[in-house]
Amino acid sequence: MLKYILKRLFGMLVVLFLVLTITFVIVRVAPGDPAALMLGPDATPQDAAELRATLGLDQPILVQYGKFILSAVQGDLGQSLFFHRPVLSVIAERAEPSAFLALFSLIISIVIAVPIGIFVAYRRGGVADQGAVSTAMLAASVPSFWTGLVLQRWLASDLGWFPASGYGGPAAGFLDRMGYLVLPAIVLGIVNSALILRFTRASMLDVLGEDYIRTARSKGMSEGRVVMKHGLKNAAIPIVTVVGLTFALLVSGAVVTERVFNIPGMGSLVVGAVLRRDYPIIQGTLIVVATLYILINLCTDLLYLLIDKRVRY
Amino acid sequence: MLKSVTVILAAALGSVATPSLAGGVVNVAIVGEPDTLDPMVSTKDVVSIVTQHVVETLYTFDGSWNVAPLLAKDLPTISEDGKTYDIALREGVTFSDGSKLDSADVVASLERWLKIASRGKTVADKVESITAKGPDAVEIKMTSPYAPLLSLLAFSNSAAAIYPSEIVPKGDAPIDKVIGTGPYKYGKHVPDQYLQLVPFKGFVPRKDPANGGAGKRGQGPDEIRFIPVPDPNTRVEGLVSGQFDFADSLPAESYDRLEPSDKAKPVLLKDFGWPVWAINHKAGLLTNKTIRQALLAALPFDDMLYAAFGDDKFFKVDGALYPEGWKWHTEEGTEAYNQNDPSKAAELLKEAGYDGKPLRILTSRQYEFHYKMAEVAKQALEAAGFKVQMDVVDWATLGQRRNDPALWDIYITHSPFLPEPALTDMWFPASRIGWSNPQKDKTVDAFVAETDPAKREKLFAEMQKENYDDVGFIKVGNFNALLGEAKTLGGVPPSPWPYFWNASKK
Repeated sequence: MLKYILKRLFGMLVVLFLVLTITFVIVRVAPGDPAALMLGPDATPQDAAELRATLGLDQPILVQYGKFILSAVQGDLGQSLFFHRPVLSVIAERAEPSAFLALFSLIISIVIAVPIGIFVAYRRGGVADQGAVSTAMLAASVPSFWTGLVLQRWLASDLGWFPASGYGGPAAGFLDRMGYLVLPAIVLGIVNSALILRFTRASMLDVLGEDYIRTARSKGMSEGRVVMKHGLKNAAIPIVTVVGLTFALLVSGAVVTERVFNIPGMGSLVVGAVLRRDYPIIQGTLIVVATLYILINLCTDLLYLLIDKRVRY
Repeated sequence: MLKSVTVILAAALGSVATPSLAGGVVNVAIVGEPDTLDPMVSTKDVVSIVTQHVVETLYTFDGSWNVAPLLAKDLPTISEDGKTYDIALREGVTFSDGSKLDSADVVASLERWLKIASRGKTVADKVESITAKGPDAVEIKMTSPYAPLLSLLAFSNSAAAIYPSEIVPKGDAPIDKVIGTGPYKYGKHVPDQYLQLVPFKGFVPRKDPANGGAGKRGQGPDEIRFIPVPDPNTRVEGLVSGQFDFADSLPAESYDRLEPSDKAKPVLLKDFGWPVWAINHKAGLLTNKTIRQALLAALPFDDMLYAAFGDDKFFKVDGALYPEGWKWHTEEGTEAYNQNDPSKAAELLKEAGYDGKPLRILTSRQYEFHYKMAEVAKQALEAAGFKVQMDVVDWATLGQRRNDPALWDIYITHSPFLPEPALTDMWFPASRIGWSNPQKDKTVDAFVAETDPAKREKLFAEMQKENYDDVGFIKVGNFNALLGEAKTLGGVPPSPWPYFWNASKK
């Protein structure tokens, strides 16, 4: 297994190198001048040219690339053009809201989707099944920003149950900050539960038709034990896979939801960086996101070992 | 695990479910994170809005947009030839680091302004010297009379900000820690979350009564907290929920959401600004004056404004470059505004020998009203015989492309009504649009050199007429800005650059 992990980690390095190169090229090929954006609408082209020179953006692209790669392999992702601070420290600040938003929304998704998915698979074709499938389709089809806006207006502005946006002020403690994540987590939880529900249902349906389920029933085992012990355990691998992928996507930044609720997470960081043409932040965020994505997928693969003893690497 | 997370969520929910504001804290939702806390190096409004509480200039504008003294004791004494400005400084003013303001600080700051600020550079070649005349007086000598100087010294963006000489860098380097003489100083700052301003205890206010940005600046709130909220709808909902006390730059459609609210109200800032079509005089189709006149003849400004703003409480069809009530207001030349005459435009195109080359309109959806008015204009221009190419890009791309005259014929932008016409750079041949003709240039040169206010008004009327005759740039109309404030907030006069030093909360 160690060999497998090492092989995956080596693969990760190759992927990261490609991510580094591709993002470097893409952000520079895209039109837009960070210097002009920083100086404001009334700055002259000469002002922008001077600032570009100060930022080193006037150097040949290969020189910039060489410097970038050399720094990156030493763990230095550069300085943000906008924040004037090391990229990694800016990203580290955004990790808390994104990580907890991902965690809370994933918990909400699992709590909604897995029990319902199991139940409707067991009652396949019934009213509950049709209702759950239709609702899941609806939840997956409605854009998350719309769900966010509706819940924000209803639960925050009109009823005052939640703060409408933000992540707390200077005096906000950890629990205060987490409170600001509840409403966006509910939004993301609802949206993502649709996918997990459908995977759970489909996976359970496959399993519940298997011979070993019939055998378990013929042995006189209770339905609960049949479904939960023999059914869910064998259906778990696709569910864990989709949960892992969902988590990876959420950690990398729920771009739209973070914007609607003004959460200073990875998603809003990268969107802001694109609009400001803050190249080092775009590059740094994508590298960190790619790393997280690969690591979460690796952890998901390793989880298979715990779930199913027959899996070998 | 699940249980403990649920407990945390419940506890957290309980602690913040009803947002409560600490006494004396004014929460202001702004459109984004300021790029810098040094207003000298940026022309962005969001930078001005924040930094004007901390950093001050020698002059400012009063409620009628007249130049008024701020760190200067009074308006300067100007020599008869208009070339020498003697500026007496207020005595006893201190910076938030405890040091006293003196002429050395002013000289160092203004020299940096001339060197690195966009607006400072426009006047740098006309400034012969800036000299300290004792500890509390400064003399500025010009190579030629230049009337807009005081407005430039008063403006809060690309501002001639006064810093302690000790923190002013020698070269182009940024200032590490911005220190000013304003009523507030910077507190805790978490980028993209909040920027806290706290009262500067050693602040020395002016004695004269508050009048716009001029006169006595108070320290009403115990804390002013600027919160970057890029999404306009989030700013609206934050106001309605009571989370924000003030929100800048709201979409017109949110007026009806705010009006019935029991916590917040809409604030209409009338005649906030003007959408402008910048015309490329350096290259391409519109270097031909007859084609420019065809463009002006074809445009239906009333329809464009209606499409852009949707309701006439948000705009006014007005060709005068300054609205009524401003000293610069004049109707000279405005008969050429809003002709909406496709046949005349077609004739002019024929006369110009127009060969069907596309008219490239560079615009962005960053400001939806730019795009909407361009869409309406496109139909009208095509009806007149123009072939129109809409280049719709993001704002960053527009900012880059407009610097290359080969890439556009028109780009769309907007501006607030600036207190001094010469602050609009499109009048000058060196600007991005490159508009130049001997008659107009002569009038503009006379305007900037003239110090007599009455003569300046007359010259500006001529400039406006020449803008319509030669189609230098196109004003689409006046638009109002929508802001929002909590019903509990007072003492914040509507302004393009709102300030909160005299704010109070019921």
